[in-house]
Order: sequence, then structure tokens, then C-alpha cells
Amino acid sequence: MSRPTEQAGRVDRVLIVGNGIAGLTAADTLRGAGFEGDLTIVGDETHAAYSRPALSKALLHDGDDLSHELAPPTHGATELLGVRATGLDVERRRVALDDGTDLPYDRLVIATGSRARRLSDLPEELTLRGLDDALHLRSRLAEKPSVIVVGGGPLGMEIASGCLAAGSQVTLVSQGVPLLLQLGPHLGEVFTAAARERGLTVVDTEYARLERGGAQAGASRVVLDDGTVLEADLVVTAVGDVPNTEWLASSGLVTSGPLTVDSRGLVRPDVAAAGDLAAFPTPYGIRRIPLWSSAIEQSKVAAAALIRGQEAPTLHFQPYFWTEQFGLSLKAVGYMPVVGPPAYVDGGPGGPALMRWAREDGTGVAAALNYRIPIPRLRRVTQQAA
Amino acid sequence: MRIVLDRARCEGHGLCEEAAPQLMHLDDEGELVLDREEISVTDSAANAEANAAVRVCPVAALRIA
Repeated sequence: MSRPTEQAGRVDRVLIVGNGIAGLTAADTLRGAGFEGDLTIVGDETHAAYSRPALSKALLHDGDDLSHELAPPTHGATELLGVRATGLDVERRRVALDDGTDLPYDRLVIATGSRARRLSDLPEELTLRGLDDALHLRSRLAEKPSVIVVGGGPLGMEIASGCLAAGSQVTLVSQGVPLLLQLGPHLGEVFTAAARERGLTVVDTEYARLERGGAQAGASRVVLDDGTVLEADLVVTAVGDVPNTEWLASSGLVTSGPLTVDSRGLVRPDVAAAGDLAAFPTPYGIRRIPLWSSAIEQSKVAAAALIRGQEAPTLHFQPYFWTEQFGLSLKAVGYMPVVGPPAYVDGGPGGPALMRWAREDGTGVAAALNYRIPIPRLRRVTQQAA
Repeated sequence: MRIVLDRARCEGHGLCEEAAPQLMHLDDEGELVLDREEISVTDSAANAEANAAVRVCPVAALRIA
């Protein structure tokens, strides 16, 4: 005989695994929807939830110690911090933790995010994913070490910018023009030009390998595709992220890689997933979009669906992305990268600019470069005919 | 409750406006304007909006006092 809590529709206990912005938003949304039952959040870091985008921006550039802080939670959940989930049994509805406890749930939110992809097992290889990483990198920069950043995506470029601003000599190792893959050729060129102007050395390579050693103790070497060896006091890699889904291997949901959810963020009626680990339906296929606003929007939809099922609205997400680096500030709405030159809605090349790219399907991408504009207006620009 | 803006931190993303359109908006220059700062504890809809707006800010420019 099943207990009342296991009957469909009855929700007494919700467990959220992951205390990043996705987990936090799920908790807030559940409470906002009137869920007054038992709510538990598990987080593998001992820190309170923080703003990850700030780590490679204000925290690194300006030494701003507060920009990543989030308002204290109001969800009243039981918080289990510094513990990691190790297993999920979807039939018995239990999550195992690395401290030996086994938590029951009626509904589960999987929000364990992702981790930095690494190029080696060397402890000399630094990455920037969590608050501890950011604080460590910042403390190392105090001695103005020479730095190699491997990875020409937004994170690698933000790190390079922060290291330069801290007074280091910085070489960026990139597969092709930095930001080309993420933003497209126009913005890639704009940012790369600004970076070079500020003193960044950009090196192009198909692949890079890390080795220990060099002239100085503790130094590292980066070997490029043509055999060129670069040496620096510090090597930071920013070569993508890997979904933290290995703990789900025994659940049968996924063994590694992204966890695919439906348009409401559900994996099954009693299990939702949101944030950097989730791949969800977009107009361009099932995709993972590991961005701040993506985690928040996914989480709102998923939490509502856990309570209201098919009556809950589906996700209609239009990506919002921003970056600050090399004296440039970019805000962009829409699916990137974009090809070709932009249409200038306001401003022009070389100055503050509001730009738009039209896609063949009638949608658009709007980007504001050193141009202050509220997101709702930027969203409207994506829809205008240029 | 009262919503407090740290204007020096605000980068004008406007995610707060999307979360709480009844309480705040960005003006034509992209500066955040708090249309309602004081919110009665009995106004649960406004309380929820205010909390959502504070939560969504990625640069800690808003807080509840």
C-alpha cells in the first residue's frame, strides 16, 4: 500500500540538489506558488549562493568583494551545505549524500550545475568556476605573475582582461579569433581589437596541452599545435564546462553529459532539472544554455511544473548575455553567434552602439555595446525590422 | 519592507524590471527608478515581486531592508 505522500498530486517534501541560482530560484518559486511543505536544499559548497557572473567581472577586475553576494534566502528551506549528492533512486524517491544520509522526496529538483572542463590533472592548472577559484586567482594576481589564459570564449577573455587590469603580462591562447564561436565574427573582431590595444597577446592554435615546469618553480608550460612552447608563472584555462550529472548514473536518467528535460523542465513528472546541466528545447534544437538568466528562467518554469504539472506554462526563453572586458560592456539578447555585419539602430562603429542582426527565420539578435539600455527595450529591438 | 538600491552597483541590466514591473523600471537613460520603495507586509503580490527582483540582480545592487 502506498503512503499518502507517494500518491500523485500530494506534495509534502521537495528536495533541491544544488544551491546555485537555479536551486535558489526553484526554492523561491515553490514558496511563491504557495508550497508550504518541507523544503530542503543541498549544496556542495559551504558558501551561501552567490552570483557566478560577477566572479570573473567586478570581483576580478575591481577587487569588489560584494558584487557576487546575493540577498539572504527567504525560502525557509533546510539548507545542507558542504555535502554532495552521490546517488538517486527514482523508484524509492531517495537521494543519497556523501555524508551517508539518504533523503526522501516527493518532488526533486536537480540543479547541480556544471564544473570547469580541464586540460590536465595538474594542480598548476587554474580554472575559474566557483567563488573559491576566483578568490584564489585574485590572490595569486597580487604578485603580478605572467599569465597564460587558455580559451578564447567569454570567460577566458574576462579572465584575461582581469589579469591585465591587475598588472600582469597576459597571453591568450585561442582556437581562432576570440569570441568568434560564441558571438560571431563582428563582435569577435571588436573585442579582440580592444584586447590587443590594451596589451593582450593573442595566440591562435588548434589545440593546447599543459605541462608542468618552466624556468621558475611552480611555473607551467602550454604546448601549441605546432610544437611552440609558452611559459608563464600562472596558467588559467577556460575551455568550457562539464555538467555535474555523474551522480545520476545509478538513476537511469543519464550517465554523463547534459540531462535532457521537456519544455517544462521535467525529466519525469516528479523530477525537474534546471540550470547549467539541463538541455532543453529551443527553436534551434535541444540545447544547454549555461547563462545566469537561463538558469533563472528554466528554474521558474520547472518549479511550477513540479507542483502544477501540465497546467504549468512551458519555457519560452530568449537568451540574455552580457560581458565586461577590456573597457567594453556588451549586453545581448537572442540566440548567438550571429553572422555578418550588424545594422546600427543607434550609434555606429567604434563608439557606443545599439546593433541588430536579422535572422532568416524572422527573429533577431540585439546587442548594446557600451550603450546603456534596459533589457525590455533590448528585447523589443530584436523584433524590429532593421 | 523597503527596497534599497545601491546605484553605484547598478549596471542597468533591467532583469529586476522584468521581475517586478509594478515596482521599478529603467528610464530612457537606463537608470533604475524605484516606483515603489515601501511595501506593506500585507501586500503579498508586491512582496513576492520585490523578492524576485532582488534575487535576479546579478550585481547585488538591490536589497530588502
